[in-house]
Amino acid sequence: MKKLKDYLPWVCYFVFFLGILIVDPGTHYIHLVARVIIFSLYAVAFNLLYGTTGLVSFGHALFYGIGAYITGMLVKATGPEFFLLFIVLGAAGAALVSVFIGLLTLRLTGIYFTMLTLAFAQLAWGLTFKLYHFTGGDDGIQAIAKPAMLAGSVTKYYLFCFIVVTICMYILWRIRRSPFGSVLNCIRQNPQRITFLGLNVYKNQLKAFVISAFFTGVAGGLYAGLDGSIHPDMLHWPTSGNAILMATIGGMGTFFGPVVGAGILTGLETIVGKYTEYWSFSIGVVVLIVVLLFPRGVLGIKRLAGNKN
Amino acid sequence: MKHKLISLLLILAVLSPLTAVYGAETIKIGALYTMTGRGGQYGKDSEVAIKIALDEVNAKGLPDGAKLEVIITDDKNPLYAVSVAKRYITDEKCKFLFGIISSAIGLAVTEVSKENKVIFVGSDHAATDLTANKFHKYYFRSSNNTFQSMMAGAMYLKDEVKNWKKIAYIGPDYAYGRDQWMEVKWGLDKLGVKYEVVGEYWPKLYEPDYTSYITAIMKAAPDILIVGFWGGDTVSFIKQAKPYGLFGKMKYFHVDAGGNYEAMAALGSDMPEGIIMSARHHNNWPETPANKAYVDKFYKAAGRYPSYAAEGAYVGIHMIAEAIRKVGNANDTEALVKALEGMKIQCPEDPPGFTSYIDPKTHQIVQVQAIGTTVKNDKFPPAKFMLGNLKVYPADKLWPNFEYIDYMTKVKGK
Repeated sequence: MKKLKDYLPWVCYFVFFLGILIVDPGTHYIHLVARVIIFSLYAVAFNLLYGTTGLVSFGHALFYGIGAYITGMLVKATGPEFFLLFIVLGAAGAALVSVFIGLLTLRLTGIYFTMLTLAFAQLAWGLTFKLYHFTGGDDGIQAIAKPAMLAGSVTKYYLFCFIVVTICMYILWRIRRSPFGSVLNCIRQNPQRITFLGLNVYKNQLKAFVISAFFTGVAGGLYAGLDGSIHPDMLHWPTSGNAILMATIGGMGTFFGPVVGAGILTGLETIVGKYTEYWSFSIGVVVLIVVLLFPRGVLGIKRLAGNKN
Repeated sequence: MKHKLISLLLILAVLSPLTAVYGAETIKIGALYTMTGRGGQYGKDSEVAIKIALDEVNAKGLPDGAKLEVIITDDKNPLYAVSVAKRYITDEKCKFLFGIISSAIGLAVTEVSKENKVIFVGSDHAATDLTANKFHKYYFRSSNNTFQSMMAGAMYLKDEVKNWKKIAYIGPDYAYGRDQWMEVKWGLDKLGVKYEVVGEYWPKLYEPDYTSYITAIMKAAPDILIVGFWGGDTVSFIKQAKPYGLFGKMKYFHVDAGGNYEAMAALGSDMPEGIIMSARHHNNWPETPANKAYVDKFYKAAGRYPSYAAEGAYVGIHMIAEAIRKVGNANDTEALVKALEGMKIQCPEDPPGFTSYIDPKTHQIVQVQAIGTTVKNDKFPPAKFMLGNLKVYPADKLWPNFEYIDYMTKVKGK
């Protein structure tokens, strides 16, 4: 019975993300759900640090942007035939950069770690702006083509995203449930105990940091193909803030919470944005409600109720 | 029986126009504008001009009693603008994409237009790329590109400004700013003008503090400072440069967007006298009934005078309406493209004897350019200065220029 309960979120995941194809609400909504699933991967990858390891990175936009820019620039330079390979290379690039940043930032804890990750991301954002002839600067990179089999209908690209994201999510899920995942959980709860157990906190945090950056890079690469348009704002701090918001709204203590958070954030932006330019106000209200009333996030409500019982 | 038949016919006769109106199509135009921040005035003015144009168009009528409707969304950044443009097409079923202030956003949205084969009428963004190396058949522009103003600027520098050699440039670091610098140098080279570049400076769009740039420019000491800002950036730069005495040390040359009424109004008596500027529309020139009527209408509707962005939006809506009238509906995109190509459209900025037109090969509106200097003029309050001593450059000398398009394509790629 417990086993079945464990897999229930996966059932909901498949029912929602595949069900949308059966319901077929039209191109606009398929495109919207494609954004949701990409942001879901971004948020879940981020949450490996935030919710599981207890590290608040305010610079994850850096890895998201690197994934997007490596994918986009390689497609522009060589054509879209090896699109999937470019996404992997983008993710590898993000992971590589994260090794260097992780080595420096993980020496610090708490707010100092957060500020340093923010500083690195802002540095990369500034560079992306300034290297106009290399990155396209503030113009971004446009018309990033997709391979023929993914071009045309948005449904094809959505299915591609669904497959890639689902594989990534499964790997992240397994990581979270593995002994390594338990170590990360323990690091969040009591890092000293991990040291007493003879394990290295720093090394395990670094591993989590690199894994998180890799999957964040995959999400960035997928986004580059969705609209065929990338911009330095992908590396800007509000993009890092979005990851924190998605995980917080959905529930950082749960694996699928950030998926719900991604859905709420993207849905609000698109649906409320149709009626007012002040759609971000609605996000503020939602965050306020969640933080004050459901501090464990939307998916954490049940757990909270369970605890009370 | 006969009476009943007559009554029935009468009722039908009365109801038939009503049913026609009731069943009339609403043609949606999906517009994106910067509505907040330093560029927000452009969006707000464009919104007013769109309303004026819609009233005129709907009053004149469209085929089958159709009505135009414009949805406006704040564009924020290229990524958001692309998702909104896609929503306009797939969810709102808009027949046209419209507007956009920033060229960076224009460059992103033009790809949506191309991919979805939906006509995009750019009303304000001016980076030449969109009607040159990034041209596609579904894109049209209802205001001048930067090449038109910078080529006119190069001619002005050659003929009207004496005793100079050293130039420097400052402009926003994206396509709009980059294009202007490339174009003025290309124009000067073509005109055989000898010059020396002593500096180029690339602040970010909406940069809050220009102090370091101003001191660097002062140190470089150019004879002419060529400026490529727009909107609130112009106002900020001038305000910050004035205490340094920059305007007394070099000639200030700002001919694409510098002479915008927004800057005149915001700076008031702080606007330096005698600096060289232009804009895509002037409230005080040409003194034609059409321009006066347009400016008065805008003032009546908004309680303020328009910035140049408003004219591009106003003309763009009339272009779309005229194309629909020619084709008879808004569903045949290919026919609408044909109708827009070569279309003549009388704009408020057209001087007597000239009518703006859409160049059929590049889909760029072809217009005259007038460059002048700031002179005291308080007829358009709160502005204390307006442009005067205007030198007018003929439209066909400025666009199309295929030699430049080839050059640009070589430099920037397709």
